[in-house]
Amino acid sequence: MSVWSDIILFTVDLLALFGVYLIINISLNIQRGFAGIPNFGLMFAIAGGAYITGAVATRLALVMLGMHTNLDPIFDNIPVLSKVDPLLQSQSLTSIALMIILLIIGAIFGAILGLIQLGPAIRLREDYLAITLLAFAEMINVIAVAYKPFIGGITGVQVPDVFAWSGEYRFYIATAAILVVAAISYVYAEFLGRSPLGRTMKAIRENEVAAMALGKNLVKYRAIAMVIGSAFCGMAGVLWTLYGDTVTPTYHRFYWTFLPWLMVLLGGLGNNKGALLGTLVFTVLDKLIIYYKHSLAGMLPFDVVWLDQVLLGLITAIILIYRPQGLLEEKPYVPKELEAKLKSIEKK
Amino acid sequence: MLKVKNLNSGYGKLHVLYDVSLECEKGEIISVIGPNGAGKTTLLNSIFGIANIYSGSITIDGKETTRLPAYVISRMGVAYVLQMLNVFAQLTVEENLRISAAYSKVKDINKATEKIYEIFPILRERKKQLVGTLSGGERQMLAISIGLIRNPKILLLDEPTAGLMPLYVKMIANKIKEIRDMRGISIILVEQNVQKALELANKVYVLVSGQIIFKGSPSELKEKHEIMKLYLGVGE
Amino acid sequence: MFGIGLPTIVGGLTWSALLSLMGIGITLLYRTTKVPNFAHASFVTTGVYASFTLSLLGFHPYWGILAGFILTGLEALLLFYSILEPLRRRKSSVFILMIGTLAFDILFYGILNIYADYLQTVFKASARAVYLAPKDFSIMGIPGIMFMSLGMLVISVLGLYLLLNRTTVGIALKACMENTALAQTIGVNVSLMLMLSWFIAGGIAGISGALLPMYIETSPDIGVLLVAEMFCVSILGGLEQVYGAPLGGFLMGFAEVVLTSWLASEVGPWIISYTPLLPLGAMALTLIFIPKGLATIKIRRREG
Ligand SMILES: Nc1ncnc2c1ncn2[C@@H]1O[C@H](COP(=O)(O)OP(=O)(O)O)[C@@H](O)[C@H]1O
Ligand SMILES: [Mg+2]
Repeated sequence: MSVWSDIILFTVDLLALFGVYLIINISLNIQRGFAGIPNFGLMFAIAGGAYITGAVATRLALVMLGMHTNLDPIFDNIPVLSKVDPLLQSQSLTSIALMIILLIIGAIFGAILGLIQLGPAIRLREDYLAITLLAFAEMINVIAVAYKPFIGGITGVQVPDVFAWSGEYRFYIATAAILVVAAISYVYAEFLGRSPLGRTMKAIRENEVAAMALGKNLVKYRAIAMVIGSAFCGMAGVLWTLYGDTVTPTYHRFYWTFLPWLMVLLGGLGNNKGALLGTLVFTVLDKLIIYYKHSLAGMLPFDVVWLDQVLLGLITAIILIYRPQGLLEEKPYVPKELEAKLKSIEKK
Repeated sequence: MLKVKNLNSGYGKLHVLYDVSLECEKGEIISVIGPNGAGKTTLLNSIFGIANIYSGSITIDGKETTRLPAYVISRMGVAYVLQMLNVFAQLTVEENLRISAAYSKVKDINKATEKIYEIFPILRERKKQLVGTLSGGERQMLAISIGLIRNPKILLLDEPTAGLMPLYVKMIANKIKEIRDMRGISIILVEQNVQKALELANKVYVLVSGQIIFKGSPSELKEKHEIMKLYLGVGE
Repeated sequence: MFGIGLPTIVGGLTWSALLSLMGIGITLLYRTTKVPNFAHASFVTTGVYASFTLSLLGFHPYWGILAGFILTGLEALLLFYSILEPLRRRKSSVFILMIGTLAFDILFYGILNIYADYLQTVFKASARAVYLAPKDFSIMGIPGIMFMSLGMLVISVLGLYLLLNRTTVGIALKACMENTALAQTIGVNVSLMLMLSWFIAGGIAGISGALLPMYIETSPDIGVLLVAEMFCVSILGGLEQVYGAPLGGFLMGFAEVVLTSWLASEVGPWIISYTPLLPLGAMALTLIFIPKGLATIKIRRREG
């Protein structure tokens, strides 16, 4: 293989990771940045989207392709897929429809999980809320491992390859799909930030005590932000599963909760551009470390991946202490008409 | 004794006090009065090293204390009775007194505690009780005692009579005078209750929007009708 | 009775004591610094590797209790001085402090893994599956770890009680927990008190970690795996109560070991794989039904 194609593959893989994390980080921004929910259990909805894909994708493909089988799509996963995949490969429209339906299912499932997770904790103070959300998120792996009919227990399942129709461009198309959803989530978050709803949520975040006086409204806005954010997280889980066309119940809070937090903190909380920048910096760093670690391997008496963690911890501590506002500071949004008015007042 | 010179201070970016100067001699009671939010508490916080000081100086007996941490200033003989939450509700009355004495220069803690009980006999009766169970007036006496037991040179009192029943207001006012006469302590008394402040003080400062707009004796202030009326809401 | 044998009871007691030891520090730190400490995960793991290292060097693993206490205490001080004090001085929110402890935890997770790899390659020790129970003593067939963990719990709780109620420093610490501003006015060096609480809390977590490989197989991941449960223990007992953690620990420990073993014999062994749901579920129920004393802010409903 030429260096060129190496670089292209590296970039495509990087963009896929970037896209998935961007969706997650935007949704974290909506939850924390807009509504003040310290969601330390992001993984719940992400893993939810991934696992529900594993649970229903093959069944759905069977229905959509009009196929019948006596085999179980989970327990006889491989034999079933060996019949589904070839047929799906020749039907690009069905493949795309399947992907869209799965995204919708993932979004709905993610939103429901978000509500379940937030339910008992919705009135709690920030720190308690964070711990509760984290603890809840841990449950999904316990269930996915213990209840085998869900996604086949610890070994997980494969899902139909919805990008197989694109042949040798499979990873390009898959990455493009991820980036499209990421772009939609970014635009949506920008729109939300300027809408009255978004601005109300920010007001609540700024002043929890005053927001308390709003009573039920606080609960309502927290719930809305959680539903929106979790729906996006669910879609991220779906996309990541379809990208690799396999899922195992090993989603870990380090990668799917803590990393997003660090990225958003790096970029600057409550700021979509910051989320974008933070995600980019982190994913590039991460991929480069993985790319170069092979050259270091063997020279050190330990696995190089751990340097990743040491570095991440250090970077985060340094950001917190020396640049707590992140790379990009949040700027209040002022509607254009208002800005014009303010300027005319200033002139006088 | 205590000299504050051209003090500018506040909290973070919030500038509260502008060029405030103040002096207090040994055995004097200085009253600082002014409307809510004027910066009275901030003045005490600055003296005690809790607020951020931008410029100016604070000296105690000629020694610069401007940027020392609170616990050092406290060990130099300054006792501060906070406006609110000024007693440890989860400790007993006696624990409150002893812990304060233990972190001061007082040698004989038992004797010091005994002296406090002589000034406020009601506290002796309550000594084994958790402070959470005391009445408002009793708490305020304990709060003053926590400061007093440290045998301070300077006592900072932030609205010690606010929200108390008239009976307690009178009693605490008398005790403050008694303490000054007995021990020759300098007291800086922040008050909303203008009448009480004028009655007790040797010197009065009026603080409005972070600036000193009057300095003089209580009788001089009483002549300044517009200040009394405009800023302190007293008189016609 | 109910088909519960002696080993189950012994296991329940041991696990409860270990969980309590882990929870005490979280509660103590919550009371003094107001921060939910995520670094408790690596504190516990540090204790594990303290006793493992000593056993590699030929000492009895129980010497790890002392080593774990000191080492982890120092680790906690490092966290306090390198991250929390600078943040506290800039008046960062509790939330930022919490992320600070998380950053420290991730850093130490990496370091502990590097250390385990190092032991593995240099000493050829099985440092990624640490199980030291074969070195344990036993009294009348009961493994020593039960006595040691219960004993350490009693010593820790009693020590904490005596410190907080009988010594000046302890009363000052209690004063700091209640009202930092006021403690400052009476001349208490608050930052010194916080430091003390971090050393103690870290030390006790280290003790629990040092004991852990005598009861279960551990790895560099053990702290990360248990941290959610540690928080459950603390919250169940009530984060506002210094002595709440043992209550939570015993409830949780018994539920996990004894209740599960009973359910497995009554319902079927498949239920065992759902055990990890217990602490999480218990915590959710606590928050829904008895949030009192849990430092919750209840949102006032408008009347009418
Ligand atoms: N701890 C604090 N942090 C930030 N701002 C404060 C703090 N305490 C008081 N302020 C602000 O400082 C100003 C002066 O308050 P204060 O000194 O308490 O006034 P007073 O005691 O005269 O009522 C007010 O605007 C108040 O909001
Ligand atoms: Mg005040």
